[in-house]
Amino acid sequence: MTNMRRTLAGPLGAVVLLVVLMSLAMIVAGTSPLDGFSALFYGALGGRSQIGETLVATSALLFPALGIALAFRGGLFNIGAEGQLLIGALFAGAVGAQLHVAGPLGIALLLVLGAIGGGLWGAIAGWMKARFNANEIIATLMLNFVAAYVSLALVSGPLKGPLATGAETAWLDQAYWLPTLLPGTRLSIGILLALAVAVVLWWLFSRTIFGFELRAAGDAPEAARRAGIDIGRITWLSLALSGAISGVGGATIVTGELHRFNTQLSPGYGFTAIAVALVGDLQPLWICLAAFGFGILEAGGLAMQASAQVPKDAIHVIEGLIILVLAARRYVAARAETTAV
Amino acid sequence: MAVLLISLVALTLIKATPLIYAALGGVISERSGVINIGLEGMMAIGAFAAVVISYYTREPALGILAGIGAGALGGYVLGIAATRFKVDQIVAGTGINLICAGGAAYGLVLIYNQPGASAQVPALGREYWVLVALAFVAAAALHWLLARTPWGLRIRACGENPAALASAGIDPLAMRVYAVTLSGALAGLGGAFLSLGELNLYSDGMTAGRGFIALAAVIFGRWNPLGATFACIAFGLFEALQYVLQGRIAWLPADAMQALPYIAALVALAGITGKVRAPAADGVPY
Repeated sequence: MTNMRRTLAGPLGAVVLLVVLMSLAMIVAGTSPLDGFSALFYGALGGRSQIGETLVATSALLFPALGIALAFRGGLFNIGAEGQLLIGALFAGAVGAQLHVAGPLGIALLLVLGAIGGGLWGAIAGWMKARFNANEIIATLMLNFVAAYVSLALVSGPLKGPLATGAETAWLDQAYWLPTLLPGTRLSIGILLALAVAVVLWWLFSRTIFGFELRAAGDAPEAARRAGIDIGRITWLSLALSGAISGVGGATIVTGELHRFNTQLSPGYGFTAIAVALVGDLQPLWICLAAFGFGILEAGGLAMQASAQVPKDAIHVIEGLIILVLAARRYVAARAETTAV
Repeated sequence: MAVLLISLVALTLIKATPLIYAALGGVISERSGVINIGLEGMMAIGAFAAVVISYYTREPALGILAGIGAGALGGYVLGIAATRFKVDQIVAGTGINLICAGGAAYGLVLIYNQPGASAQVPALGREYWVLVALAFVAAAALHWLLARTPWGLRIRACGENPAALASAGIDPLAMRVYAVTLSGALAGLGGAFLSLGELNLYSDGMTAGRGFIALAAVIFGRWNPLGATFACIAFGLFEALQYVLQGRIAWLPADAMQALPYIAALVALAGITGKVRAPAADGVPY
């Protein structure tokens, strides 16, 4: 039993489960798994532009997944990555459309603004938790909706680009576009930044005092408090940092791929990223691999829907089942003590 | 002005109804010791199942029952995961939310051959007022059941001190599965009210965080059915206000006004510091 559970809990188990469930979803939709999977993999990896799109999705998932992992490690269930990403993107898009400085400086500024936007959005929930013991799960989720409606109101009105038809800002000047990484595709060097963030987080988690405090606050909050760790500070700081990472992700989508902000820029990356973080076992380097796997699903899912008539939403069902089965052993003990729902 | 006021009151009650059902589910679940983060998904799958069954049978009442059943199934899965398999309750609930929303979206494409929304189906006519009234009756009944009956005592014991319940010969794990299943059934009813009471179709994302607003109402109402109901009415009022005020406040765009109920829930969450106390074993695996 323990052996079986260990296998199931590992990333390998997740892959096996995924294949079985996907096959099932394809059969229910009336497609043979062979056709379904070939459509999926061709759509994700079948050529340069397909690989480019897969890596675009990988990058978009990697930022929020890393942010989520940081908060989870501190025992905080941040399900607000979607809103944090959106606000980060909004900051970058709103300022980027008006910017008049040198190119590289401008790009750096926009990424920092993304971090500030997402960080502020995360910090709201962190402050509410630290100050009022407001449940962060509900707070971060509510903030997703507030982010969506506020950004929609802003880019439909005051921030709307003069020539824009939908709810979007004006185009960024080409000087502020992130350089393309893979010529002929939309893939920007944003993905390198995501990988760099992963390395920094790995170092932060395993080599720094903050990483230790974070883990202590997550695994044994009472012990941490008695050991003199300021739980309130860890709470707002980890949610702010978590939001900042998602926010940078949003900014890279704006400067790297879309070149302006629009309210449709994320098809739920912030929610899928929860599955990515859990499948990656909250370990930054594993999360990179998990993000690539989910990037394949994201990009290939569209192709699968178009050519094999399997609704791509099947992928979300499977993500949910994987979360359920993986059971997230790391912070199970911690949650029980910190949650006051 | 009087007309406006009456329509505001009516709209508030309608908007509060699905929240009340979900929140009562939240109360039962949490009083038994399980945090039901999956309310949102159970509402969604309830709303979806109700539409599908009403579509095939042309009988909205059967649709409502199907919604209750689908929500209960979601609750049962969460209950089993959180007890027998000791999955973290929050993680399991998040998984349920993804499964239900994804499952409904997948089903939409399979059944109606179109993403986003179902076809229009036979919905409740004016009978939906029965469900509105029933929400309040259910709140009062649950209050009485929890406070005054052996059934309520068992649920509460399960959330305060499951070991004591076990020593009285009742399996707390079975009790929790039962409570979370019931919780899901109520959330499913709330969802079915959304799709067949307020509307006559299912569309992706139509629950729009109501399951989480209901959870906020549970906390704001201090885990008490009547308190939670009161909180739901308040949130319903904010939802209704956005329709009534639309176009009346020039400087506040309609899109921004839609954020009102969520901001209200945030403020409520922050505003109840101090005296709140969750059931002692709430969220603690047994």
